[in-house]
Amino acid sequence: MRVLFAALLLAVATVSVAQEGFPLDGTWRSESTAKDGSHRTIVLIMQWDGKSVTGTINPGPNGTDFTGGTLNPDGWKFTLDVKNAKGGPIRFEGTISNLGKYNRVVAGKWTDAAGTIDAKFVHE
Amino acid sequence: MKIRNHKKALLATALVAVASLAAPGFASAASPNAVPRYADGKIRLDRVPGEKGYWDKPGATSLVEKGVNVAFDANGKLKNIADASKVAPFQPWALALYKFRQQNNFVDDPMKVCIGSGNPRQMMTPGGVRFIQDNNYQRMYMIFGGGNHVWRTIYMDGREAPNADEVTGTFLGLAVGKWEGDTLVAVSTGFNTRFWMSNGGLPHTEGLTLTERFKRVSKDVLDYEVTIDDPRTYTRPWKAGWTLRWVPGDIQEQFCETGRE
Repeated sequence: MRVLFAALLLAVATVSVAQEGFPLDGTWRSESTAKDGSHRTIVLIMQWDGKSVTGTINPGPNGTDFTGGTLNPDGWKFTLDVKNAKGGPIRFEGTISNLGKYNRVVAGKWTDAAGTIDAKFVHE
Repeated sequence: MKIRNHKKALLATALVAVASLAAPGFASAASPNAVPRYADGKIRLDRVPGEKGYWDKPGATSLVEKGVNVAFDANGKLKNIADASKVAPFQPWALALYKFRQQNNFVDDPMKVCIGSGNPRQMMTPGGVRFIQDNNYQRMYMIFGGGNHVWRTIYMDGREAPNADEVTGTFLGLAVGKWEGDTLVAVSTGFNTRFWMSNGGLPHTEGLTLTERFKRVSKDVLDYEVTIDDPRTYTRPWKAGWTLRWVPGDIQEQFCETGRE
């Protein structure tokens, strides 16, 4: 019972963690379903370098590093317009919601070679 | 011969008396409001032997750039949200986030779940602060009675401040200090971003450097000044400052508990 209570407290504390620093800093994950029914997982690691949002899309052997992501604080619009290692365009335009929460969300349209999906990135 | 020796003894006694008057440590005995010092002349930021007291009653309720006159309540909430841009030289995203936090009634304030506060915030949180000067290990410990009841270490041994990009960021950062005359100057780097450095919700990034200046200007008054340098969040370094008062007694026991508010 004590263990359960402690786990519950930990869970509450974890979800209560407040929003920190630059709103896009950190790791974000989107789990979505494409129009053809296939499952898409996209992971973004992002950091504010003082000028623009830099980071990596799907870190790993086929990851795509990017620079030049922009965040417009007027409406919290986030835009990403990059090319992958093969030169294919990747574009995302979304809006941050739940700004004050650790598990905040950036939702919008993600377009790459596989098509366009509704992506909902949750801050991890 | 005896008379000559007696004169010598008198002269020596007089010299000792004059030297005592000139010695820095004597000042506190001579004037009740004089700044107490160690025998080597260094300022005592804490108690003299036999005394009980600590610093409290901060003269500010929230962090704001020096010279700017805006009104806050005790929780750092602006009386007029239109004053937000005057508080500090914000980058656009930081101003927007500050406004969001201000208008959101600070529901995401990490202190509400007992997550550590920043160094300037500790200096304005009622509950008291003491400076323990460890001259053997050349460190200054700061013990806080308010907020999370934490302590800080300021390394006075001449080491360099770490490169913020090469350390794991912490709530209090790593502080190196030195004396500039009677002023203790502490430079802190290596912060994480999990805290608010002020109750009003001022943002920062891992690029934050805090330069704090502590000066005991009289027995009962401590001047505190902090320079905030975080080019990712603010367009230029900026300063804030306030005083704390020496109050008698001991810091009281207090613990941060979730769910109290």
